[in-house]
Amino acid sequence: MVIDLRRCIGCHTCSVACKAENRVPLGVYRSWVKIIEKGNYPNISRHFLPTLCNQCDHPPCVINCPVQATWKLENGIIIIDEHRCIGCKYCLASCPYNARHINPLIPIVQKCTFCHHRVYAGLEPACVEACPARARIFGDLNNPQGEVAKLLSKHPFQVLKHEMGTYPQVYYIGADLDAMDPFAGRKEWM
Amino acid sequence: MDVNVIYNVEHEMHLGTLIALYFYLTGLSAGSFIISTFAYGFGMVKYKPLGKIGVVMATLLLIIAPMILLIDLAQPLRFWHLILYLRITSPITWGTFLLTLYPINCMIYGYFMFKGNLKRTKIFGLIGIPLALMVHGYTGFILALGKARVLWNTAIMPPIFLVSAMVSGLAMMILVVIVKDYFIQRGKEHDPTLIYGLGKLLVVSIVLDLILIGIDLTVLLTSHTEAYIAALMLLEGSFSHLFLGVEVFLGALVPLFLLLFPLTKRWVPGIAIASVLTMIGILAMRYIMVVGGLTIPLS
Repeated sequence: MVIDLRRCIGCHTCSVACKAENRVPLGVYRSWVKIIEKGNYPNISRHFLPTLCNQCDHPPCVINCPVQATWKLENGIIIIDEHRCIGCKYCLASCPYNARHINPLIPIVQKCTFCHHRVYAGLEPACVEACPARARIFGDLNNPQGEVAKLLSKHPFQVLKHEMGTYPQVYYIGADLDAMDPFAGRKEWM
Repeated sequence: MDVNVIYNVEHEMHLGTLIALYFYLTGLSAGSFIISTFAYGFGMVKYKPLGKIGVVMATLLLIIAPMILLIDLAQPLRFWHLILYLRITSPITWGTFLLTLYPINCMIYGYFMFKGNLKRTKIFGLIGIPLALMVHGYTGFILALGKARVLWNTAIMPPIFLVSAMVSGLAMMILVVIVKDYFIQRGKEHDPTLIYGLGKLLVVSIVLDLILIGIDLTVLLTSHTEAYIAALMLLEGSFSHLFLGVEVFLGALVPLFLLLFPLTKRWVPGIAIASVLTMIGILAMRYIMVVGGLTIPLS
């Protein structure tokens, strides 16, 4: 997935579409938009960072799950078997992107699956379809004629926490470093 | 330049105190098992009174510890998935087998010890040492392989866990011996040299523990941004009171003083205080590692 932040307007439609499509309970999110403001008046700007599971190529959650309840499909999407998960929460602790959450209603771990059920049926993920600014582009990176490969060939892009060696598969065009930094503008947790 | 976070989502982390407690109990168990093998595995006659207490404590603690893990599972009734659908890359899978084998070995070892079969006791004691080391070493790996958390993801985590297990195990053994000598068998004559000997071992392991913590902090302070922030959290952030005050000062420096200062090192109540403080310090260390590691934000 490519998220083109030059187009993002910070409307949270992706978050709402995800909640509706996947019936995500109150209090947890599988896709959300981080918003930061930076600078001093009058030189200020606001930046968005839509965040979701990065469907890593080398996923620490899959390596660390002790019961094979989460694994990577052939198309690269990482899914969770809700009936096998024992809720040890080790995957939550291993995920560098804060993408996983405990479902408050049924105590198991869940996360964004790129709307696997929709992809399987030939549709796009709900957030991609709902985005009014067409900031999210979904497709196969290995298809050289696809829009994802074209965008990434032509534009400078970033991924989140490249240094973790997880090879995340959500690519950002025009992301702001301060929005990507978990510590920027935050002292209160210390 | 000012940066303000206007909106962000942080998922609640449902992991913490119970896991820290579990690590603490496995540490105590591994420590007391190793002390129990001093006499029956390596033939150090001085520590013979500790053999039986050691193995009973080790077995009991290792029966309680996995119960805490089960309570911590969101789906405790699915625990059998751990054996049926194991994934060998996950340290929790290693733990599944170690936590099964180790208590069984403890019981066999204890059975032969109480039967007085010294040869078999020695064999199972020597088998148990690598098991005890692995049972506690793997808990270090659980943290070290959780690579999202900078405080955990360090190669020194398993050694730190092993040394702190030795520290807390020795402290608990000293307390057990003191309770046995001065409260339960008050009338009998007893020899305090055993307590002094354990005290010396405790000094060595506390010093080793402090050195390892120092190494860890030095590398954190000079490593990448996230590591530096984690070190600051320990030194001046929300965990500084617990880390500097309880873990380092009360849990290591005060006991070291009590055990080395000429006036107090032969004073049994002083040694008892030192042991209690050490045990509290190691509990604080487990809590800081688990909960502190999870406090550092990811998104």
